[in-house]
Amino acid sequence: MNDTSRDSLEERLAQLPHEVSPAANLWPAIQSRIELRSRRPRPVLLAACVAAAAACLASMFTWAVLRRVQAPDGLPALAGVGTFQEPGDAKYIKARESLQQTFRERLMLLEPGTRAKIESSLAVIRHAHEDIRRALLADPSSPVLEDLWQSTLHDEIDLYDRVVEATQPAVRT
Amino acid sequence: MMYGDRGAQADASSEPSQLISAAADGDVAAFEHLYRRYSARIYGLCLRLTGNREAAEDCTQEAFIAAWRALQKFEGRSSFSTWLHSIAIRAVLSRRKGLRAKFEVPEPSTGMPERSDFAGSTPALDLERAIAALPEAARHVLVLVGIYGYSHAEAAANLKIAAGTCKAQLHRARQLLAHALDLEDT
Repeated sequence: MNDTSRDSLEERLAQLPHEVSPAANLWPAIQSRIELRSRRPRPVLLAACVAAAAACLASMFTWAVLRRVQAPDGLPALAGVGTFQEPGDAKYIKARESLQQTFRERLMLLEPGTRAKIESSLAVIRHAHEDIRRALLADPSSPVLEDLWQSTLHDEIDLYDRVVEATQPAVRT
Repeated sequence: MMYGDRGAQADASSEPSQLISAAADGDVAAFEHLYRRYSARIYGLCLRLTGNREAAEDCTQEAFIAAWRALQKFEGRSSFSTWLHSIAIRAVLSRRKGLRAKFEVPEPSTGMPERSDFAGSTPALDLERAIAALPEAARHVLVLVGIYGYSHAEAAANLKIAAGTCKAQLHRARQLLAHALDLEDT
């Protein structure tokens, strides 16, 4: 490449616009993500994950006690469609999927041991969530179960969020 | 939605410093004004760095979310735009690293910039597509140094490569671009 062609290329590069508007409005997804959880001081990642799993175990214990009190003969048969609401808002679902994808990508950046502990915590949370969801199907009007169910939902999002945040490179300038 | 409790609310006409301060206090509306002000610049950077629209959208989102979380750490030692740029570059690098850990990512052959991406401007689409088709490392350096005016030292620091590597990649990128655009014999 001679000087003339080099200058021509430099000139063309310099003329490219720095600003390009995205075709889609990205703000709703960003807003959903930053509002998924309120801002608060963050403990160390692993401790937070273990704490989230422990909270779920506590929820499961509470549910088990309630089940024993309310249904001594065992878990009642599933009552079909419950009245409790799974989060169905499209913005929420999209934001959640986006967060899950980022979580999966960031998880791969962690050491295998750390990754295994986080996966284990996530499994506990999901197990608790599923157990409580099934209990809600049987007893959809229970506010206690509803609270527990929502709590596990938040714990799962919280765990995603903490991993994403902890694996974000430092941005202090 | 207001998280912060500030006496005077920041709005679209506010100075960036006011918006930054309000957003750092948790004011999502102020942060949205910052997004409106800087999103085209950040998306443009991500689009050039990734060479792929979908990836650029993801990285733009990640950059703004990371910026929101880190706003309280912003000390104003660089301009807000420069700070956002550095976050966007890290988002691009993080995304690439994360994807590569799972499977080999092909060079962008779909989602490359189209004319509709540059509505309202007068771009050289052939040049944009030639940039998108460059090898990743060469593309990153060319975009930062050749288009966005970074010095080699700044680009090297952001891309976490040696300054010498940066210069070599820029040379390589120019050669490949000249070849792609038939500029070699002019």
